[in-house]
Amino acid sequence: MSEDVDDAALIERFPYVRIDHDSKHFYRGWLDERLLFNRCDACERFHHPPKPVCPSCWCASLTPTEVSGRGVIHLAMFLHQGPPAPGVDYAMAAHPVVAVELEEQEGLRFTSTVIGCPREAIRIGLPVELGWVERFGAPFPVFRPVEGS
Amino acid sequence: MARNPIRDEIAIVGLGSTGFYRDSGGRSAKALACDASIRAIRDAGFEPGDIDGIVGAAEPGGPNPNEMSAALGLPQVTHFSSPMPVAVFALVDAMNAIFSGSCSTVLLYFAYTRLPWNSRSAAEDPFRRHHTLGVMPAPESVNAAAAYAAWASRYIHEYDARREDFGRVALNARAGAARNPLAVMKTPLSMEGYLQARMIREPLCLLDMDIPVDGADAFVLTRTECAREKTRNPVVVHAATTGLVGTNDEDQLPSLRRHGQHVVVESLRAKSDLWLEDMDIFFPYDGFSIITLGWIENFGWCPPGGAGRFLEEHWDPEAGCVMIDGRIPLNPHGGSLSEGATRGSGHIREAVMQLRGDAGERQVAGARNALIGCGGFFFNSQGAILRRL
Repeated sequence: MSEDVDDAALIERFPYVRIDHDSKHFYRGWLDERLLFNRCDACERFHHPPKPVCPSCWCASLTPTEVSGRGVIHLAMFLHQGPPAPGVDYAMAAHPVVAVELEEQEGLRFTSTVIGCPREAIRIGLPVELGWVERFGAPFPVFRPVEGS
Repeated sequence: MARNPIRDEIAIVGLGSTGFYRDSGGRSAKALACDASIRAIRDAGFEPGDIDGIVGAAEPGGPNPNEMSAALGLPQVTHFSSPMPVAVFALVDAMNAIFSGSCSTVLLYFAYTRLPWNSRSAAEDPFRRHHTLGVMPAPESVNAAAAYAAWASRYIHEYDARREDFGRVALNARAGAARNPLAVMKTPLSMEGYLQARMIREPLCLLDMDIPVDGADAFVLTRTECAREKTRNPVVVHAATTGLVGTNDEDQLPSLRRHGQHVVVESLRAKSDLWLEDMDIFFPYDGFSIITLGWIENFGWCPPGGAGRFLEEHWDPEAGCVMIDGRIPLNPHGGSLSEGATRGSGHIREAVMQLRGDAGERQVAGARNALIGCGGFFFNSQGAILRRL
């Protein structure tokens, strides 16, 4: 379980991410294939990316809380070139990058790619759900279309 | 009316620019900054000892103000700082330093250098390869530059925008650059050429993105009262502001109708005696074409989603560029898309040149007032109104 992974080891598991004390819980969650967003213990609002206090009420008591990963594509672009990453071949196909508005809270979004879906189907408004793939030997969260959508 | 005690109190009395290049031929960013700074100080008619403040935008690869002060042999300064890009952060800092009495006269410089990760030829320069990005980000990010392509997708979705709407921003810039000796991209551009350009971050193509350059701009600022000893009609900053909303993480931005540009417009309007109808030139920043569409709409030249149509309606086919109501050009120097990626210093420099009457064949006859919307949507929205007294 990810609790056993100390901070130094966590950084090594995600060499392409700048992890800090505010975001370490978020990335530890990836190791267990759980998407954990900071939720305020006082006002119960989620925020992302992880911040040291709740931006809504300044409460510093925050609980990394698993979200469903279900939502709707809010922004969608296709990279024809970009940073190198395993499994991403820009010459083969433009790489989709989407910001998904999650069902838990209006305006709460998470950005990743979309898999298992023809390019033409990836558009703003498409309902998607969370899936996990492997990148550099660690879990990596992605989206795929909700079946039947 | 908002408090604006600095209104018209600070004058821009010196200008210097190296011009902009795809490759400056082995000159360092510091060399370019010195070149522009010396030109600006001479243009102002000042000596090194007259400069007691130095402000330099913290551009990646650019020199720090202490390095610049050493290179230029400034005897001493009482204010130095390096605000983050884009340009109006540094302008506001310089103005405030003078107005508050931290110093009297500021050298303000902006040095740009192509970095190894955004220019193939820069990557071949062993000195430039020393610059590193640190941790290489994953592709699945809408941080910084990528965010503009992501929000452009939303713009197209919400307003049914066409590629031609973005293309007119690029065409307008290229037409201006053709008339600007400092500009890098002068090859004529047609809509067909725009539509054929390769996609980079779809829906944005190569020509929707500013062009990395080597070069530098510099300015000298002092109190208007001092400027009046040399000229009766100095160019002054009438109002300037920066703007930010709380939720400014790129992918969490509230919407295309509520971000930093809206804060800037509200603030600028409340501080200024002058508004759209008073303007002779308009400088909507164009680091990405979508930003320009945003400024046009958010300043209120047209309703949200209407910028494409606005550009079409105000297009001057003879000049091949936009002329609002037949008289107000947009970024007549070619902007970041075609003069070069100056992150706003080019827009300010062109405003000053126009208001001085020094803009050559681009000159807007009798130009008195210029409106600048600088920066994008997230964490660098800013604006300024410049006027000639």
